[in-house]
Amino acid sequence: MDQQRAFDRDLAVLLPRLRRFAHALSRSRADADDLTQMTVERALRSREQWQPGTKLDSWLYRIMRNLWIDTVRARGRIERRTAAAEEADGVAHDPVPGIEAAIDLQRVMAAMDRLPDEQREIVALILVEGFGYREAAEMLGLPIGTVSSRLVRGRTALMALLGEA
Amino acid sequence: MDDKFFAWLDGELTAAEAAEIEARVAADPALRKLAEEHRALGARLKAAFDPVAAEPVSLAAYAPAADSNVASLAQVRVARRPVTQQFWAQAASIAVVFAMGAGAGNSLLGGPASPIAPEAGRLVAAASLEDALYRQLASQPADSGPRIGLTFRDKQGHVCRTFTDQGASGLACLQGGDWRLEGLFQAPEGQAADYRMAAGSDPRLGTLVDSAIAGEPFDAEKERQARNSGWK
Repeated sequence: MDQQRAFDRDLAVLLPRLRRFAHALSRSRADADDLTQMTVERALRSREQWQPGTKLDSWLYRIMRNLWIDTVRARGRIERRTAAAEEADGVAHDPVPGIEAAIDLQRVMAAMDRLPDEQREIVALILVEGFGYREAAEMLGLPIGTVSSRLVRGRTALMALLGEA
Repeated sequence: MDDKFFAWLDGELTAAEAAEIEARVAADPALRKLAEEHRALGARLKAAFDPVAAEPVSLAAYAPAADSNVASLAQVRVARRPVTQQFWAQAASIAVVFAMGAGAGNSLLGGPASPIAPEAGRLVAAASLEDALYRQLASQPADSGPRIGLTFRDKQGHVCRTFTDQGASGLACLQGGDWRLEGLFQAPEGQAADYRMAAGSDPRLGTLVDSAIAGEPFDAEKERQARNSGWK
């Protein structure tokens, strides 16, 4: 019981970071919140599968990333792009102090949208979430060389998209 | 070289390898520039996404109790939004809306000729847009550039005007000498070039006007008098 409470507490602590990763993966506020919710539900249901002593954040990020792959596969790309466009139209933001940041989040998410999925997840884990190459490689089940070359391609593409802005 | 250069940038190399790349970068202005640009890109990504992690969220909002009746997804979505986001989502009257991509955001916000500029933490009209808001009458549109739609007073007594420009439409209200943007909407694709689109034909702009307006919009005569008296 105490262990369960400790798990929930640690999950709550990681929740803001998970939401940030969800935004980088899905490039959409609504999708990000749905994805966060699915991840939390899955994590709570699968508590017993997490081995204490291993890194909880890696485990949660892996769950989120796999759920996102499932979502993308289930939906198909075209439908998702439509949803993202509608979402962008309806984004309402605090126009007072947060506006610059909110605009830039939209721009950066739009640029992330142009990356292939396999580059985006690596950019998100390493450049946004701050994981090391090795941790990211372990989470994704990829050789470290693959991670580093996808990261080079992803960040180079982002530079071309966001460079002058 | 590429992989190693970026691994160096990310602090992923051993001390010996890092020293080698560092020496190479120090000797090569092009590599120095590349390093700078990519450091700036990394900082920008962090700056864009980090505010998301700073938004207050609770686990409870994402984990409806297993034994409760399942709320509709829409209800759950509202419940889990940070409070400020819920507030602004409802306060459509002050929503500023931007479309993604290479559309309004970039063309409207870039450069010294940009019709929109940040001013004391708010967005205000500038350049051709400011000019049009001050001087143009709805009945006498310019051949190019922004066009004015409705003019009215809002509930605080400020003069407000709707406009269309570069495929975007919006609402601005005059406060302290600045036309503050109260809303900005990107027209759906295909309508982008239609400057003759009647003001308020974008349903979101119509909603925004409805929520802001006090009384009736100005007629042509009242609009002219108001302009000639400096929008007092």
